[in-house]
Amino acid sequence: MSLPDHPKTAARPAGLSVRFHWIRRFREGWAIFRENLIGRIGLMLLGLFGLMALCSFIPPLIDPMYHPMTGVDPAISHSTGPSLKHWLGTDFIGRDIFSQLLAGARIAFMVGLSSALISILLGTTIGMIAGYAGRIADTLLMRLADMIMVMPTLLVVLILASLFGQLSIWTIVLLIALFRWPGVSRVIRAQTLTLKQRPFIEAARVAGASHTRIIFRHIMPNVLPLSLLYMTFRVTSAIIIEAALAFLGFGDPGTVSWGMMLQWVWKTGHMFQAPYWLLPPGICISLLTLSFFMLGRSMDEVLDPRLRKEDTNR
Amino acid sequence: METDPQPILKLTGITKHYRSKASLFGRAGKPIVALQDLSLEVGAGEILGLVGESGSGKSTTGRLIVKLEVPDAGHIHLNGADTPKLKGKTLADFRRNVQMIFQDPYQSLNPHLSIYDTVAEPLIIHGAGDEAGRRQTVCETLGFAGLTPPEEYLNRYPHQLSGGQRQRVAIARAMVLQPAFVVADEPTSMLDASISFQIFNLLLEVRREMGVAILFITHSISAARYLCDRIAVIYRGSLMETGPADQVINNPLHPYTKALIDAQPGFDCVEADRYDTLLAAERDPVGGEHCPFYSRCSQAVKETCATSAPLLEHGESDHLAACYYI
Repeated sequence: MSLPDHPKTAARPAGLSVRFHWIRRFREGWAIFRENLIGRIGLMLLGLFGLMALCSFIPPLIDPMYHPMTGVDPAISHSTGPSLKHWLGTDFIGRDIFSQLLAGARIAFMVGLSSALISILLGTTIGMIAGYAGRIADTLLMRLADMIMVMPTLLVVLILASLFGQLSIWTIVLLIALFRWPGVSRVIRAQTLTLKQRPFIEAARVAGASHTRIIFRHIMPNVLPLSLLYMTFRVTSAIIIEAALAFLGFGDPGTVSWGMMLQWVWKTGHMFQAPYWLLPPGICISLLTLSFFMLGRSMDEVLDPRLRKEDTNR
Repeated sequence: METDPQPILKLTGITKHYRSKASLFGRAGKPIVALQDLSLEVGAGEILGLVGESGSGKSTTGRLIVKLEVPDAGHIHLNGADTPKLKGKTLADFRRNVQMIFQDPYQSLNPHLSIYDTVAEPLIIHGAGDEAGRRQTVCETLGFAGLTPPEEYLNRYPHQLSGGQRQRVAIARAMVLQPAFVVADEPTSMLDASISFQIFNLLLEVRREMGVAILFITHSISAARYLCDRIAVIYRGSLMETGPADQVINNPLHPYTKALIDAQPGFDCVEADRYDTLLAAERDPVGGEHCPFYSRCSQAVKETCATSAPLLEHGESDHLAACYYI
């Protein structure tokens, strides 16, 4: 497969075209991604929620009573329906539900992305080490992964929460990450095993490359796209776990998350009295996780040509 | 070419077995013999062709020499040092001195590294020169390997090059440290004939300019004839014949070498010129000591060939064959 010269790139200064390979790969991937309806919907939804998270800083600036946690409308002392002043109504002590919803988006992104990032870092590193080292290290790491994988994350975090009292949001993030790396590490290990046999790894060994160099310079760039794909799925599961924890009353009481909002609805007995309070956080949780999942599905298609439909070139 | 009397590489009694892994309920399978008591010498600046069919142990020999694998028995001496025992500093020196050119240029270059990164990597690993010096060396080596002008290639990626260009990059990577010994493992089997010819000439030029010794592994006896000073013929892990290239081709001693030459297609193929040493139907294998080629050899005599393995000692001083009937 030889490509003709690219006159445009040849004329570019050297510094720019060094990264040309990545840009090119990204462009190719983007072209396939754009053809994908699911991916487009996912990305649009994600953009919408991203906008919500960004806008969550605005309401408290307009008026302190719009602060999602501490701001109380002095005129209202019980839950009221949507009005001009409070677009989605207020909760049982007069806090604005719309600003809570925006703050919830921020928390959801924070929890989802950071715990997914940590679990991907852990999973990728452990998977690469297990696959590359083989033998005893492989056995030990993979049995550890199996043990963690069979533990029900939610249950374990619930038990920990009841043992140590209220957990802060960052502890929850860390716990979710610690329980969600094994799936990633198994996939990365399998990928590393096939890469390890490729002659370019042997060529690096013959050149005298150290194990660290081989892992990070030769194996990592080849498994990274797969890691990123798994990250989108990990975001989904992290958001769901955090929401479930918060709804069950084990969330961080100092933050406003969508799960927390649902818990307040339920605790104060507004479950069937205030649909304007119950529905928005529920819908947001479903849509945000769905959008990450859709994004992951279409990225899967970009990375794995076997999943592509025949008529993508229409 | 005059070869140094002191060999740069010396293999003595190399044996390598591959074993299938023991399963939970079964014992490990019968070991497969890749190399059996193999001894070989390569002089400084010499090109030795290691010729044999698939599965004969050619590639294993190459992988043992560059220390990608360790032998079960025997010694490998490179410049006098016993390579399987090397560690630390001396191992780094060894890596610097011995390089390998792989079979498939589509597989032996990392798709995520630019040509500059690929060729400069050995220099970085061995701490040779600074950034500017490395760039200079890489350019010179690429130019030498026939990729001109080298600056055009530095920032390209393997998928943008043709097979022949990739193999040139692989050769440049092997040569950039100016090694004393290079193993070329069927470097042209993935390339078409005219490109192969260019690569052969490049290897000859590399030897002429840098005085590097090359172990050229191939299944094609005509490639070996074109390129090599000496030829060693290997069959099922044992050497069958060694000698100067033209003698081995023009006056083959061993029936297996003759069979290899028979298998070579030619333009003026005359049936009468064939040696016909290969049996149409293989004989049933015999147990115990026997000549490795016994089951396929039309010249074999049961009393001798099926009872003991001939040693590589029959023939003249520098042209030897492991066969009782030459």
